[in-house]
Amino acid sequence: MKRVYGVVLSLVLASSLMASEQFAMSDADRALYEELLENNPADMIIANGEELLGSLGGEGELAKFLALSEDDLPKYIAGFPRYMKNIGSVVSIDQMLQAFMSTKGEKPYKLTSREMLDMSSYVKSLANGEEINIDIEANEHMKKAFALGKEVFETRRGKRGLSCLNCHNPDVVNTILRTQPLPDISAKGNASAATWPAYRMTMSNMFTLQERFQGCMNNALLAVIPLGSKEMTALEVYFTHEAKGATMAVPGLKR
Amino acid sequence: MKAMIKVKPDKFKNGDVIKVSLMAMHPMETGSRKDKKTGELVPMNYIKDVKFEYKGAVFTQMSVWETVSTNPVLTTYLKVDGEGDIKITLADDTGKTAEVSKQIKPKG
Amino acid sequence: MLRRDFIKGVGVSAASLALLPSVSFAAPASNALTYDAALKAITGGKEAVASKKMKLKAPEIAENGAVVPVTIEVDSPMSSSDYVKSLHILASKNANSRCLDAFLTPANGKAMLSTRIKLGETQDVVAIAELSNGEFLMATQNIKVTIGGCG
Repeated sequence: MKRVYGVVLSLVLASSLMASEQFAMSDADRALYEELLENNPADMIIANGEELLGSLGGEGELAKFLALSEDDLPKYIAGFPRYMKNIGSVVSIDQMLQAFMSTKGEKPYKLTSREMLDMSSYVKSLANGEEINIDIEANEHMKKAFALGKEVFETRRGKRGLSCLNCHNPDVVNTILRTQPLPDISAKGNASAATWPAYRMTMSNMFTLQERFQGCMNNALLAVIPLGSKEMTALEVYFTHEAKGATMAVPGLKR
Repeated sequence: MKAMIKVKPDKFKNGDVIKVSLMAMHPMETGSRKDKKTGELVPMNYIKDVKFEYKGAVFTQMSVWETVSTNPVLTTYLKVDGEGDIKITLADDTGKTAEVSKQIKPKG
Repeated sequence: MLRRDFIKGVGVSAASLALLPSVSFAAPASNALTYDAALKAITGGKEAVASKKMKLKAPEIAENGAVVPVTIEVDSPMSSSDYVKSLHILASKNANSRCLDAFLTPANGKAMLSTRIKLGETQDVVAIAELSNGEFLMATQNIKVTIGGCG
């Protein structure tokens, strides 16, 4: 298995290395970008999300819906995606919020809506400072979702026969691909799941983790998996589990 | 136009110099970008004037150009001299304006 | 340097009025100014010199051209007799080389300015400071703008 993806990836990397100049950013440069987090334009998006949740009764009502005290909310949010009995499936924060809105007699925001982006980003930010505590052993549903997510991550498909694993595996971490170092998605590395949703500088907007997966699939010429689908949620489960133990810090700020 | 003031640090005394940042949601269109759907050029539309006041007196004025990033962040500094309001007024080239205020209270 | 209309209309205290630039500049024919024209609009043709007192902080390699962090700092007492009147950021190759002009007062306590700018290509970013004694300082940094990335 190792040798197979190594060969495929080396072809991809070789073509990209020849095509563009490989710039390596210095530590001093990286420090300058980290400073930008202090005033992340996404802060205003989060503020809008807070207002939207406020109009639904705020954290108090959300905690009630989840049968929790408000104090327990952050830790619970840091455990998504979760299997929720009242919904009957493994869900991300946004799908949970759709169920919340329904119980309040409100028409749920669409997953692709601006409102859902802002509000779910705010809710996820409540978990800031908590360790990601997703539990893939919690029940059969989570176990199945993790297995499916792993399968989605590792399956080669599309025009180039690439899988997520080809570029996101420990052997190629920090290799420069299209001027960017490939991140270590695990908790001991970049812990990517802990910093999405993120404001993307090149798009001047906020994107969720699932939306980022879709962008990545587009670039790798893989058929895009729909937001909120069983496969996409499973992929989020797998990806989040990789970052288990890392401290939540959203919104991120990315290229 | 949504705008926000951020002050750093949280706690300060009289005489300290604090960092005052204005964040705004604004497209800052240069007029050279093509709309992907219509193929038409999106007209120039950017925040051009920002005025920072403290207790009614202007301490910084900025002329901002369309070359500043979308959803701009503008940071200046202020020497604290008593409790008072920081008020920031902004205007874009279409005549839209916005105003944000933040009360600051030095300790000691 | 064009001072915008809306500032004229708002009440400003007498003390700060005295410290704001009293010279008005003629409005340029179009919005965009090339680097040389923009520099002249700021300095009136006077020479801007490099100085240890002025620091320009920006990445040598910008991760993307949409959001490039730039900070200018000038070592100055910011007293009523010795302060930095204005700080300017120019991008030498942008269609409009002007990015930001900040007019300061001693009330700032510190002559420092930060923002994020758009850069269309690899170019020099130039910072200019005008001091209360009429001197102009300058600092330059070349910034490489990378294209590409994973989307």
